[in-house]
Amino acid sequence: MSLRALLFRSVAQSKYVLIGGAVVFCVFQVLLIAQAAEIERSQAFGRMAEFVPAFLQRGLGSQAMLLATFTGTVSFGYFHPIVVCIVSLIAVYLATEPAHDVESGLVDLVLARAVPRRHLVTRSLVLFMIATALIVALMVCGTYGGLRWMVPPSAWPSPRLILLLALHLVAAAWCCGAVGLFLAASSQRWTTAFTTGALLVIVGYLIDFLAIGWAPARTLSWLFPFQYFPGLLIVGGTAHTARDLTVLLTATATFVGLAYWRFERRDL
Amino acid sequence: MSEPAIRIDGLTKYYGAVVGIEELSLQVERGEVFGFLGANGAGKTTTIRLLLDLLRPSRGRAFVLGRDCHRESLQTRRLIGYLPGDLPVYPDLTAGAYLGFLSRLDDRPVPAEYLRALLRRFDVSDVDLARRLRQQSHGMKQKIGIIQALMARRPLVVLDEPTAGLDPFMAQAFREVVEEIRTQGDTTVFLSSHVLTEVEATCDRVGIIRGGRIVNVSALEDLRARAPRRVIIQFSAPVASSESLPPGALLRSATGTQWDLDVEGPLGPLLQQISALPMKDISVEPFSLERHVMQFYA
Repeated sequence: MSLRALLFRSVAQSKYVLIGGAVVFCVFQVLLIAQAAEIERSQAFGRMAEFVPAFLQRGLGSQAMLLATFTGTVSFGYFHPIVVCIVSLIAVYLATEPAHDVESGLVDLVLARAVPRRHLVTRSLVLFMIATALIVALMVCGTYGGLRWMVPPSAWPSPRLILLLALHLVAAAWCCGAVGLFLAASSQRWTTAFTTGALLVIVGYLIDFLAIGWAPARTLSWLFPFQYFPGLLIVGGTAHTARDLTVLLTATATFVGLAYWRFERRDL
Repeated sequence: MSEPAIRIDGLTKYYGAVVGIEELSLQVERGEVFGFLGANGAGKTTTIRLLLDLLRPSRGRAFVLGRDCHRESLQTRRLIGYLPGDLPVYPDLTAGAYLGFLSRLDDRPVPAEYLRALLRRFDVSDVDLARRLRQQSHGMKQKIGIIQALMARRPLVVLDEPTAGLDPFMAQAFREVVEEIRTQGDTTVFLSSHVLTEVEATCDRVGIIRGGRIVNVSALEDLRARAPRRVIIQFSAPVASSESLPPGALLRSATGTQWDLDVEGPLGPLLQQISALPMKDISVEPFSLERHVMQFYA
């Protein structure tokens, strides 16, 4: 009962972020497909290959050319830097609510009642997991809506590919959210937890991007979730998807466990 | 034998090198209205937050109605209604939705009739309930805070600065509610406040905390009976200050025509002693809790 009340309260507070995120990404998918359909109609994908940056071609080899295909362009919406970072940041934002509860004193009001401490962590865990999964599910809806509207079925990317990309995006966002949850479970201030989590997301993504062509970044990139979301390799069918998803979900479970452990023992 | 409402044994809380409270021991009986007094930073809120298991003790234990506040945290909190010193709110909620949300967090339903009675007592109208908390005055939020602490009818009510921001009418309403609680006898009130007149009007006993330690616990009735009263006597002609005084009377200062005394116990012997002197006027300051508290902070 108390968990449901807490969850509904948090949903009510963050409804604009959730609805906004879902609508923007859904529309983004439709626009991306419109663009890809237009390029396909004008048979310009061949020319687009010339615009793939040289360092990407060097770093990724022939995989880089997948960006200049209809399937690659449609799929790009799932591993576009802005999409990945914003979905991950939404997860961090929702996951860091326990720190806001502590900072604002709401924890005194809620935990003065017979509410187990773990409910505050569970509330945020459920919220960021469902919210990111729903946002990505709406992206998938946007993808198929756009495809049905503008592209003949014979040209559609395989459902397995879209599903794998969506799963990787959700898993990467969950991993970021789990780190945010752990930071929130250890912080007195929301800004500390969110800023640290957000910086980790952005720095992590930059390191992963730099790792394409810069060896020193490669030594660090394995520490960040985006290393386990190799979009182009997934499109090319050469990614170790089971291994990558396992790493992401294991890391998520570890940080969630640490968050429960930390929040249960700390002073509030 | 029934357990006291609150029993604290050697409770200690350090924040790193800073002492929150140290070796604090205290007992509050069931049905009592207990005033917990002290300067800012003395350790009042730390003690309360340890009772609620929001803070974890460095050592020592605390019990509420026989339950360990830390080891049986959930069962303990089921027994407590709490008003924080600085009431946190969800600004987007209306006052009614806020009370509804908090009642849903409670694991037993809030008695609707009692809630309505509290709303009437604190003059919270339907219009007030329908307004968002961000639009409410500080006093209205404080009233809502008191109501949420009382509405579940817990056996222990912990109130941190309950009358801060209330107008005199609502402060009076608060005193009446506490008086009703005392009369019913099944609820204990643990009240932390800086408004000493409030404490004096509502509490049975007071505990004074300084530097994280309890320095005095007294029943207000005893204090009223035992505490020295200030007596100022004016004379119509100069009087020698060497006049002998009865036991319990202490001359604080004297001019030719005025004596300023502290008198413990009955005034009769003093009045008898000075009856032969040319007394013009006499004033007796009633017991002041403020004076009692201040002596521990002097």
